[in-house]
Amino acid sequence: MLSVANIDSYYARSQILHRVTADIPTGEITAVLGRNGVGKTTFLKTIMGLTDRMSGQITLDGKPLGTEPTFRRARAGIAYVPQGREIVPDFTVRENILMGAFAAPPGEREVPPLVGELFPYLRDNMNRHGGLLSGGQQQQLAIARALAAKPSILLLDEPTEGIQPNIVEEIENIIIRLNKELGLTIILVEQNLEFARRAGDNFVMMEKGRIVASGRMSDLTDDLIHRHLAV
Amino acid sequence: MVDTLFIGLSVGSVLLLVALGLAITYGAMGVINMAHGEMVMLGAYTTVMTSTWLGLGIWWSLPIAFVVTALVGLLIERLIIRRLYGRLLDTLLATWGVAILIQQMIRLEFGLSFFGIHIQGLGPGLQNMSIPDVLAGTINIFGAEFNKYRVFMILVCALMTGVTWFIMYKTSVGMQVRAIIRNARMAAACGIDVKRVNALTFAFGSGLAGVAGVLMAGFKTVFPDMSTPMVVDGFLVVVVGGIGSLIGSILAAGLLGQVNALVAWGHNDVIARAVVFAVVILTIVLKPNGLFAYKRR
Repeated sequence: MLSVANIDSYYARSQILHRVTADIPTGEITAVLGRNGVGKTTFLKTIMGLTDRMSGQITLDGKPLGTEPTFRRARAGIAYVPQGREIVPDFTVRENILMGAFAAPPGEREVPPLVGELFPYLRDNMNRHGGLLSGGQQQQLAIARALAAKPSILLLDEPTEGIQPNIVEEIENIIIRLNKELGLTIILVEQNLEFARRAGDNFVMMEKGRIVASGRMSDLTDDLIHRHLAV
Repeated sequence: MVDTLFIGLSVGSVLLLVALGLAITYGAMGVINMAHGEMVMLGAYTTVMTSTWLGLGIWWSLPIAFVVTALVGLLIERLIIRRLYGRLLDTLLATWGVAILIQQMIRLEFGLSFFGIHIQGLGPGLQNMSIPDVLAGTINIFGAEFNKYRVFMILVCALMTGVTWFIMYKTSVGMQVRAIIRNARMAAACGIDVKRVNALTFAFGSGLAGVAGVLMAGFKTVFPDMSTPMVVDGFLVVVVGGIGSLIGSILAAGLLGQVNALVAWGHNDVIARAVVFAVVILTIVLKPNGLFAYKRR
């Protein structure tokens, strides 16, 4: 289980997260909900060690990660699919995927067979430059790169944002498959409430850098949604 | 004319060795390393020292100087630069300080000159390095006479550039360096130990400068501030070629070397220098990111 406790997180001098505590159950999808700018992305970045400074505890299966540098967290099994995807435009599809594999155990640096099965387009265009792909294809590539790390936990930051509608559903189904069939623990930051409800087993509701509610997805009441999500 | 182009090529190739290290370290780490020129100087002094103390010729100096300067580079990275990542101006000032320190250490023979101890080969004076007979004189290629030592310089530079290319594009560590140049945070999130790779990159770049120093020792006088103009020229190449671009550095070094040689041949060295700067300024005005900057998204 991934646990975060009393997390404060900062960019330069501004504090973004305040005393964030959450347990992320293994093998389930936890949706992180909240309006724009409440710290959802920072929550994921903090788990990955990508903010300027943080304090508090992060443990993965009892192993403390809070003071570890980013690359050790990645090698401990946490893979990150960032908002905006951040694939390398002048790396080929294969190079982009293999970039993720630096977090995989030694001797397993490869394009996982699963990638070809999930994303036939990527399999057939291994030598294309990442920058030439469409938004949806780049999203697939970012997920493939994360899978190359052979992770146990996947952090997904708005995976369906800004991609063409016909691919949105495909990516949503793949995310659910990764959880159900491979048993990956997934933390999903999502604006699309309908998808978050369909996919998520649990939710975490954020407001102004704090967690204001959390629980099973069935406990996500209309009242909570109205209070923390309605614009 | 052919002769002039040839001289331009040999000057450009040494320039390239200096610039390659700068291009990679600036590209990967955002560090402006003012002490890079001193690695050239240390390489040249290593050549002098291996000759005076070990009686070894220039062949041995090449690997020895590479190792010595790479280790010095590693030390600088560990002690100073590592603490200053992300602070561009601070690294510039700090490495400039390191550059002055290294120069003075050589000039004062590690401070021993205060105690009246003299280390042969060091000190403020000028040093000369003789080149082996095999490399003296000229060689006839396609009916034209070429200075053998300059041919040797070009070959060594071509070899080192080839090695650099191979490491960058065909090895795992090279892919890590390229990933860091493109997106350091994402590289870390993909499990790349950015600090370790940066340290290795820095050491390698310093080693390349050291090899350039060995080549310089063979045709120029060796003295403590011999490399100050080199680091300026190195940065010009990086700026013209585009940050972090291997092919850009190669072409820019060739371009600037040739412009320098051609104008110097037609007019004189001072005008040549002015024209080189004009070319650099023109490039910055027209293509602020250099000729071969990679496209960001």
